[in-house]
Amino acid sequence: METFAQPLPAYTALAAVGIVLFGAVLRVTRLTAGWAPYRTWLVMLPVVFAALWLGVWGWAALVTVVSVYGFKEFARASGLYRERLFVLVVYAAIVAMNLAAVFGRFGLFMVAPVWAVGLLTLVPIVRNRTEGMLQGFALSVVGVVYFAWFLAHLTYLAIWQDGLGLVIYVILATQLNDVLAFLTGKLLGRHRWTVLSPNKTVEGSLGALALSIAFAFLNWQLAFPRFPWWGVLAAGLIVGVGGQIGDLTLANFKRNIGIKDFGDLLPGHGGILDRLNSLTLVAPVFLHFARFFFDGFP
Amino acid sequence: MIGQGGYNPSDPPQSMGAPPPSDPPSLLFRYEPMPDLDRPLRERLGQYPRVPDMTFDALRTLARWLAILLFRLQFPLEVRGAPPQADRVALVANHASHLDSLAVLASISERRRREIAVLAAKDYFFERLRTAVGGSFFAQAVSFDRTRYTELRRWSRILREQERGTLLVFPSGSRRRSEAHDAILFVLAKSGWIIVPVAIAGTAEAWPVGRAVWRPFRRIRVTFGEPAGEVPTKELAAFLGEFWRANA
Repeated sequence: METFAQPLPAYTALAAVGIVLFGAVLRVTRLTAGWAPYRTWLVMLPVVFAALWLGVWGWAALVTVVSVYGFKEFARASGLYRERLFVLVVYAAIVAMNLAAVFGRFGLFMVAPVWAVGLLTLVPIVRNRTEGMLQGFALSVVGVVYFAWFLAHLTYLAIWQDGLGLVIYVILATQLNDVLAFLTGKLLGRHRWTVLSPNKTVEGSLGALALSIAFAFLNWQLAFPRFPWWGVLAAGLIVGVGGQIGDLTLANFKRNIGIKDFGDLLPGHGGILDRLNSLTLVAPVFLHFARFFFDGFP
Repeated sequence: MIGQGGYNPSDPPQSMGAPPPSDPPSLLFRYEPMPDLDRPLRERLGQYPRVPDMTFDALRTLARWLAILLFRLQFPLEVRGAPPQADRVALVANHASHLDSLAVLASISERRRREIAVLAAKDYFFERLRTAVGGSFFAQAVSFDRTRYTELRRWSRILREQERGTLLVFPSGSRRRSEAHDAILFVLAKSGWIIVPVAIAGTAEAWPVGRAVWRPFRRIRVTFGEPAGEVPTKELAAFLGEFWRANA
């Protein structure tokens, strides 16, 4: 298994080949709508892999920046951004949680949301105001849990000796799951099943789930060679189900607020959150599954 | 008697001397997205008035501090006069170099630096994200669309609504032109902003038009004149031209 101990070079090569092939397919099929997201991937993939090659600190820095920007998009969309103190506490929580993850302080990492929510309770007292404070507090708790803590699990995943493969698998598989859900839905979709995202179909969701499980088995030896077959099956299920739940959760946020996209930073994709939506839930569930059953994390 | 004076759920609420309660506040959340949510990033960077944004403000402060430090280290700066202490001030300067806005930024107080907005050509600075980030963060630039017919009307409305602020305007509209355009001066004057003439000397030699890099250690002088309050609007361009020539 030693040949598979270094998944980063293999995945980097695969990503490079994949992006070239994807470009070739776009050129041959003349699918003009695909060029904007493709150009964005041309920037995103090198950034992600550069951070991974830099090591745990580089990766933690990228997760922190992405989490801060993602939460900023959420706060701007919900109007929470006007309440600077709430936002600053969530920013601080993002930094603190990623630091706890880098140092492998699992206990601290797990109780970090308690400290952050405790700090948030002080904001109305410091501001000496009641108007809008319940809403601000509630949205900030969402920020602490969903955008700070959940995403910081991506940093924690990377510190395990086999974690790099898991991180890359989780990222690639969730992104692929989005694409597969879209494609299978377009090709086979007939029955819509949720008001949260009316374009989702039963056929698309089940197709993406089946293909995610297949993708997990394809990555077995590269990403998680120590997992038994049922672990690989569970990894596929976590990505296939968790990715779609994460997607629907952010779709629910958007519909409640009344917006289409969280931003426009990534042309062809929308905002950072429109790209990260499926990752937010998969990252923590995957980490705790791997930790509970395979006891790998410090 | 048992129960007398006790609590009965069917009793109407007792008045404690306070006025009867008005309608209870709604428990439903009301989301009010930021007003510039659906605008592209480069447009958000160039908007005026600026929508408060913690990260942009922090980056702008950091970049401005760095730019002024580097400017001060490289160019000996002489400042004559100062802008007046007023709420709505338009600093109107001659323009011959990319260093002009930095020279003025380095010549004013930190309070004014925080609020100042430098009118910059949209087609030059705000069509690409890279230049928009540089212009907005390092030079406090905001977008002015000199190609649009209705832009002056839009700015007239904005300036009338603004209760305070500091603008840096280069009314020549280009580094290659030395005379001021009347229209923007007319809009500033009619909107009630105090027009302060500013003459910048030495920047054309320090970083001439067409040259890729600047020449350090050239002496630069910034002169603030008296507000042009008494000057008739039609004569503002001539008044400014004379001030710039006198302090060149």
